[in-house]
Amino acid sequence: MSDTITRRTIIAGTATALIVPFAVTVLGGAQPSSTAITTTAATVSTALGAYIKIDNLNNVTLFIGSSEMGQGIMTGMAQLVAEELSLTWSQVRVEHALASAATSNPYANPLFHMQITGGSTSMRGWYLPLRQAGAIARQMLLSAANQLTPGGTWVLASGGRASNGTKTYLFSELVATAATLTPPSSVSLATTNLFIGQKMARTDIPAKVNGSAVFGIDVKVPGMVFGAVVHCPTLGGTVSKMPSSASGALALVNLGNAVGVVATNTWSAMNIASQLSGSITWSMPSSTASRDSASILATAKSLLVSTTVTPRVYETAGSLDLGPVFASAKTKLDATYTLPYLAHGCMEVLNCTAVVTSTNCEVWAPTQGQQFCIPTIQTITGLPASAITVHTTFLGGGLGRKIEQDYIAQAVTMAKAVGKPVKLTWSRPQDFKNDKYRPCASIRVQAGLDVNNQISGLIYRNVSPSINIQRNTVAGNNPEDTGAVAGAVGLPYAIANRRIEYVPNPADIPLGYWRSVGESYNTFAVESAVDELALLAGKDPLAFRKTLLAGNSRALGVISAVETLSGWSTTTTPSGNARGLAFLSGFGSYIAMVVQISLNSSNQIRVNKVFCAIDCGIAINPDSIEAQIQSGIVHGLSSALWGQVTFASGVPNVNNFSNYRVLRLSEMPIISVKIVTSTAAPGGVGETGVPCVAPALANAYAKLTASRIRTLPFYPGATMSDD
Amino acid sequence: MAVTLSLNVNGVVQSVSVPDSGMPLLWVLRDILGLTGTKYGCGIEICGACSVLIDGQAEKSCDFDVGSAVGKKIITIEGLSADTDGQKAQAAWIANQVPQCGYCQPGMLVATVGAMKAGQHGASIASGLSNICVCGTYQRVNKAIQSL
Repeated sequence: MSDTITRRTIIAGTATALIVPFAVTVLGGAQPSSTAITTTAATVSTALGAYIKIDNLNNVTLFIGSSEMGQGIMTGMAQLVAEELSLTWSQVRVEHALASAATSNPYANPLFHMQITGGSTSMRGWYLPLRQAGAIARQMLLSAANQLTPGGTWVLASGGRASNGTKTYLFSELVATAATLTPPSSVSLATTNLFIGQKMARTDIPAKVNGSAVFGIDVKVPGMVFGAVVHCPTLGGTVSKMPSSASGALALVNLGNAVGVVATNTWSAMNIASQLSGSITWSMPSSTASRDSASILATAKSLLVSTTVTPRVYETAGSLDLGPVFASAKTKLDATYTLPYLAHGCMEVLNCTAVVTSTNCEVWAPTQGQQFCIPTIQTITGLPASAITVHTTFLGGGLGRKIEQDYIAQAVTMAKAVGKPVKLTWSRPQDFKNDKYRPCASIRVQAGLDVNNQISGLIYRNVSPSINIQRNTVAGNNPEDTGAVAGAVGLPYAIANRRIEYVPNPADIPLGYWRSVGESYNTFAVESAVDELALLAGKDPLAFRKTLLAGNSRALGVISAVETLSGWSTTTTPSGNARGLAFLSGFGSYIAMVVQISLNSSNQIRVNKVFCAIDCGIAINPDSIEAQIQSGIVHGLSSALWGQVTFASGVPNVNNFSNYRVLRLSEMPIISVKIVTSTAAPGGVGETGVPCVAPALANAYAKLTASRIRTLPFYPGATMSDD
Repeated sequence: MAVTLSLNVNGVVQSVSVPDSGMPLLWVLRDILGLTGTKYGCGIEICGACSVLIDGQAEKSCDFDVGSAVGKKIITIEGLSADTDGQKAQAAWIANQVPQCGYCQPGMLVATVGAMKAGQHGASIASGLSNICVCGTYQRVNKAIQSL
């Protein structure tokens, strides 16, 4: 296969009209490529910039910088380019681009200039740039047609063709010429809506129903051996002494934070790793007190009410002294909400395949964090960036865990040590016990209602361990962590006087980004508190929110839509049922959710229905959006009902789904999703469905039982078995 | 103790050298035969990602000794495309756009086809399906199954 990359397209600027300015930089060199694990019948292909390649079968391949981890981003992005090129859906292909950390990396998300997938930012960052890339390609193909056969008006015809009425070319006949042309200085975006806004079938689904989809764990490299790891049972422990060999193992490798076992198959490697644990001497962290759930919670409780600690204040509005505001309040709420550490529990355990030689390194990984891969590998191998190739496979869920580099570093270290290709696969217990956990959080909300039942003041204090501080432990560095208050600052509610505080909890349990990050805990506190205030005011929680959101048309739009969808104001719930509501403005979108619950024979919550209205701006693929909202709701339900990790002196209490319960089909509510029509810029969807679930559940539970749940999960210590 | 076994996988009888007849079928399929469609999820028979058909019945291959599979017909996700029930299930999955990340779906499909082969339809298949999907595709799984 011959790839001809003559330029990379780097696009700057934001379009407000259809004529889009952009800049093209000719860089050459690096190839986005098809990977060793992808085959195609095409023999020749030519690239038009960094994103689009057209082969001799007239298939159009889009290279994307975002990772496909279930959210349907391959499909959504392909729709943007298909729109601009009037393609036929069956000729569209999508591949992950290779990883790069270069400053000129065309696959870095234009929102923040890094090649990572997270924060529900893919469509927000790439909507215009990919449409522009498609439009540029269109213009160049049409120019090529006019160069080959001058005259007439060349326009696109469906199926990847250009026509002037008398002559028609396939794109494949034009692309070689097009690639030699100077890209246009401005382009018009298509106005056809053949693909954007349509429920296009996902490009990745056929391979996901016949076993041919290649996840990281499925990668095969000739001569490959298989690896497993065993970490110190106590978080933070490092290898002090280890055996040099083990029966059945090809090699044991000191990975610093773990021992790697290399064997002829994964089963043997995992077995040897688990048996090895007793013969490794671990160097324990100096103190385990800050790694104990009871002491972490005690610290949080004291910081919540401390008047001596200086909180970081991330937002203030109105009066700086809320004392008088509260003194004159008719009613006051002073409530503390407590949320646990959570695990990711991706269906696909952490894994990575690596080949390391003296001159180069090739890696296949299910990664959300391409930006960090090359530097990670350079540190281990000493190779220049140009000698390192990192392929992104499908991810069997990412949920934020797969932005981390620990498992990639381990695989590369093992491959380097044994001089053979190694596929490292973590066992499920290793995956749960060595997660980067969602921070626990304790949140105190003090709020007052005035005589008109308006929220006259709010003091919000979040005490939680800081992801940012933990990752920037350089002496003297005292980083901010705005993510810790995401979902608490910038609330669209009319609250004249407010102060949003953050106090880092010094606990040093390893932390990570977990689907919906800060909103996953702050929205629970905010939306529970707003409901509590509505009840104190004697108001209907939905009407109360509408008053607080007066004038905010997008917020009111989703509240009204969910009101209609759920029958909130028009139908009564069946006997024994109650509804609860929550709302979020976040990730560039607006969402409102109503859950309807009853109690089962064990007096535990049965979630019967969930109604959700979302305004995520332009809805690129409504079917994918519905799927993502369903997904977020299930993730939110599993976590709110059962999700919890506790630590005893640094040892996590979970090791499998048996003690980290998740929702099953038999427990699935009926979910209805309404996408509110919007022409606003695309907003995030992947995380947006998660945060409202827990507060809506708590609000419904309070309605049903008159009992307010302020501590998650609802049912700690839940287990699940094999039926 | 390394042994050579005769396995019938997706209609092909083949001689397979395994390190131990107690090796789980899952890892024989994945690491020795290269049939990676069958997934490792939990290793303790809870999640169902490793489901395969053994003589038409869905079994969790993570805890199924390869030695016990000798003389039986093993069908994996890769073999469903050649199976009438498998084709129907796959078509229903595509029509309902079920998969998200897709990792659990081979197990979901195999378990569904196992129930079909036991004479079950629609709701009765769904009521017995305990496979875990962290993406939460259950509503569409259920919808797809209702057509079977």
